[in-house]
Amino acid sequence: MFKKFSLEEISSQNQVKASVQRRIRQSIQEEYPGLETVLEDLLPKKSPLIVVKCPNHLTLVVVNNVPLFFCIRDGPYMPTLRLLHQYPNIMKRFQVDRGAIKFVFSGANIMCPGLTSPGGVLDEEVEAERPVAIYAEGKQHALAIGFTKMSAKDIKSINKGIGVDNMHYLNDGLWKMERLD
Amino acid sequence: MAEKLEPAKVLYCGVCSLPAEYCEFGPDFARCKPWLIDNAPDLYPDLLKEANEKGVDNVSDKLQAVGISGADGAATSSSQTGGTSKKEEVKRLPGGKVKKKERQEVIIEKVVRNKRKCITIVKGLEGFGIKLSDASKKLGKKFATGASVVKGPTEKEQIDVQGDIIYDIVEFITDTWPDVPERSIFFIEDGKKVQAG
Repeated sequence: MFKKFSLEEISSQNQVKASVQRRIRQSIQEEYPGLETVLEDLLPKKSPLIVVKCPNHLTLVVVNNVPLFFCIRDGPYMPTLRLLHQYPNIMKRFQVDRGAIKFVFSGANIMCPGLTSPGGVLDEEVEAERPVAIYAEGKQHALAIGFTKMSAKDIKSINKGIGVDNMHYLNDGLWKMERLD
Repeated sequence: MAEKLEPAKVLYCGVCSLPAEYCEFGPDFARCKPWLIDNAPDLYPDLLKEANEKGVDNVSDKLQAVGISGADGAATSSSQTGGTSKKEEVKRLPGGKVKKKERQEVIIEKVVRNKRKCITIVKGLEGFGIKLSDASKKLGKKFATGASVVKGPTEKEQIDVQGDIIYDIVEFITDTWPDVPERSIFFIEDGKKVQAG
């Protein structure tokens, strides 16, 4: 998703009005109840929230020049990996086996066998079309953020094809951009 | 619900900016290694062992050669150079940019063309920064046969030399291009037999 991402890829950058800011806060709050307590610090009401629009219907939520969330079209807001590393428990976890790690690192989508093999862990409750954090076998930190294409139960039973779309992974364009200035 | 979530502190590698445990998948693990040894020794305990072993070998060689007992200074500096020097050889040659997986080996193959005529294929010289067109001219001149640069089945190019010259070619390559060590030349005998030179 963010294979190539740099300052040149930004099509527009706007500070949003309070009503839009409130709407964004609310959807983030619904999506990630775990963040409720820190939401005040991350997205303060007073501080200007900048929305950055990029090609491919990609929107970034930026506070103090630091991108915090992104979303595609009107999909759910997903945190950047840097944010997820700081608050690891806000998202559901999937784990892939070791062999899949280097493919994920080059942006590949996650196939069902990677999740159903011995090294992989599936969280049964996860439905389709939901953001999940992807962890790797034997690693402590999140490897990528994905959007499920199939529910966990389907992944287990069908075991073929793409299970999770790889939206944002370590060392991609968005990761390399810690600050936008 | 009144408990505030504290942000977790993550150790990011100074070299590749990934969380330290992912350095092995990063762009340049060899550069990360010295940083990791200093800052995150518990994540890669084998690295520490490796570095110590290398340090010990280098130190014992140096002591034998020089016979001075200033071991500590020598150990740290030599472990640094020992780890990075091999990679640097590979990086420097192909024009400055870091090429992934530049396995430096020259492969020599003999292919039969007619019943008694054959050609010798030389692959892999570009890995040593050798211009193939110059190489093929020299080869043709030396062996008084035709030599040409041909595109192989992959995008890699190879030099075809007419005739069977595999025995002389090894000497010729190592003489003309001293960069090429004898041990990185391989013949193909039904599947890559490591017939080094």
